[in-house]
Amino acid sequence: MAEKGKTKSFARKFAPRAIKATLLVVITYLPFYFISTFIEPFQSFFPWYAPLTNIFTAVFIILLVAGVFTSGTIYQYMFGVARALVTMIFFIYVLNGGIIALAMPIAETTVNVMVDLRVILAMLVSVCLLGIGKNVVQAIDFASAKVETKEI
Amino acid sequence: MRYVVRALGWATKIVWILIVVFAATSVYSALNVRMGFGQPQVFLSSESIVISVPLFVNNTGLYDLSELNMTVAVMDYNGSLVSTSTTFVPSIPRGSSIETAHNVSMSLDDITSKLLNYLFNDTVFNVDMSLKLNFAHAIPFQISTNMTMPWGAPFYNFSIGQISYNYLNLTHQELIVSMTFENHSPYFGVDGTMQVEIYNANDNGELLGFSTSDLNVPSHSSYAGQVEMIVDASRITGSGEVHFYFETSAFSFGPVVMPYG
Repeated sequence: MAEKGKTKSFARKFAPRAIKATLLVVITYLPFYFISTFIEPFQSFFPWYAPLTNIFTAVFIILLVAGVFTSGTIYQYMFGVARALVTMIFFIYVLNGGIIALAMPIAETTVNVMVDLRVILAMLVSVCLLGIGKNVVQAIDFASAKVETKEI
Repeated sequence: MRYVVRALGWATKIVWILIVVFAATSVYSALNVRMGFGQPQVFLSSESIVISVPLFVNNTGLYDLSELNMTVAVMDYNGSLVSTSTTFVPSIPRGSSIETAHNVSMSLDDITSKLLNYLFNDTVFNVDMSLKLNFAHAIPFQISTNMTMPWGAPFYNFSIGQISYNYLNLTHQELIVSMTFENHSPYFGVDGTMQVEIYNANDNGELLGFSTSDLNVPSHSSYAGQVEMIVDASRITGSGEVHFYFETSAFSFGPVVMPYG
């Protein structure tokens, strides 16, 4: 009986999290799917993009699911920080440090294209840093609230 | 602490929205910029040859374009610079268009003195082109390419034939110099005059005689002609030098010295 009750409460606790995680995974995966579809015709110019994005998507989703399942603990914020860090590294890597240089063969000549996206990259890095900062502050808040509860 | 978290949360959301909106509008704007080149035109003056390439930019996007800089450098086969030219447009505001011309200018003094070789020999020029612009005052963009441009010599394979003499009288003879060349230049014809001077093989190289004749050799055509002059029979040595001076609408140069005999 007791085991049955334990299983029930476990299911009651984790079922909503599983649903939330599934929803978040779908919502997160959609932009990557659309960007990959959009990029596909230009795949030959960005050969590094697809494998890197697949790895990043997998890592991001794992951290997201881990964060959802550990919500209510300090690990939730740790996974949040890790997620923001991974995102920041991904953007720096995929934008090649802000300078994208491509060589496109057109007719008998090669046309070199260079785009300086450092402003965009700076904005992306700043948003990731804001995310890290938010998670760190939340973690401190969580830890201090726990200590206060214990003391009371 | 809660307020800090809330503020950071809002800041993150706002920055994300800004990034997404800026990225989307940038892509939209970039797709609405039309840029192209017109038919190149060649202008000749007494000092230079100018190849003018019309350039138009129509910016119907949402952001301004600024600091448009187009540079063309022409180098010969061994890498020495023949010409470099730059066109700079400080700003192309959104919703406007500009039409300008990029002029590649080559000094004919250089062509005729330092680069005399190009008048007589076909060659290939390397052309480095680059176009830079600043998109939305935030995203510098550069496109560059390297191509080869064949150069056709206007006096390709210039040569003189055997000099012949016609007997006139005891003291004078008619000297005939035949010459041939091909105008391989796609840009200009050889229209003007040619002066020919004949020198004998004496120590000082005495002038035997000279003659001036008209030239009219259009692009991609060949010339075969001869020049006659009366010379003093006593000073003929059977060998010497022929000096050519060319005066055309595009350039003037000389002497081109060729030995005979």
